[in-house]
Amino acid sequence: MTTTADTLVDHYLRDLEAELRDLPAARQREILAEVGEHITAARAAQDTQSEAAIRTVLERLGDPADIAAEARERFGVQPEPTKPATPWLEVITLVALVVPFLGWLVGAVLVWLSQRWTTRDKLIGTIGGLSWVVAGFGTVVEPAGPGATIALILIVLAFVLPYATAIYLAIRLRARTNTVPATR
Amino acid sequence: MVSAKRESLITQMRRGTLEYCVLALLRDQARYGFDLVRTLADADGLITSEGTIYPLLSRLRRDGLVTTTWHESPSGPPRRYYELTPAGHQALELFTTEWDRFTDAVDRLLQQGGSP
Repeated sequence: MTTTADTLVDHYLRDLEAELRDLPAARQREILAEVGEHITAARAAQDTQSEAAIRTVLERLGDPADIAAEARERFGVQPEPTKPATPWLEVITLVALVVPFLGWLVGAVLVWLSQRWTTRDKLIGTIGGLSWVVAGFGTVVEPAGPGATIALILIVLAFVLPYATAIYLAIRLRARTNTVPATR
Repeated sequence: MVSAKRESLITQMRRGTLEYCVLALLRDQARYGFDLVRTLADADGLITSEGTIYPLLSRLRRDGLVTTTWHESPSGPPRRYYELTPAGHQALELFTTEWDRFTDAVDRLLQQGGSP
């Protein structure tokens, strides 16, 4: 019986320690020690050491998360911001955009679904991928004659442009993801 | 809905007053944590979870309003007793005076709707 009770108390204190992580070390130690003493005193005040009695003591103390929230408020500590989630939609969009033709079609649709890019970014993404059509057309017609060199440069550019667009969008995505304020 | 509103109202009122309730409990005698917390918990509506008092006590100690000393306990290990510092007594006195004026003013408005 006592072992179950001890396990419950250990779990509770470990949860509390984890929840208090954002606080200065000295405050963490103080609050943990005092809550631990509270439990000891509460157990000493009871005639029974039953599991139910311990549960009541811990329930009356409350959720460790609530204690930690109170501590953060009393000491003016901001909770650690949660890491921004991986923007999967945008990552898939970027991959799609550099795949000729069909990929571009998919990417051009996905890019407009995103909420992380501005309208300007989205336009650039759509038009940048469009150059796959130019590139494809260029390889089919095989330019010849005096304009051939210029045409060749344009075709090469048409191949490079989708990649350049994807890199541009990736940079924009990074910048915007990092500046988005973490929601509390 | 009503109970959620009631809860939020009580939370707000408690926010500014709870620390002075703690100081008041320590005015005439030093108390150990469990005793202090249970006395507060028995006062209706003052605290919902007992554990949230410990961050407050920690804060009061950091602000120099409360100090702790260890005393032997009749049963079990020694206990940490909380007591008021002179600054704590001063803070409590100031609060008591202001609280009287504040509640008088609010009571008058609540009862008479502000008519003289």
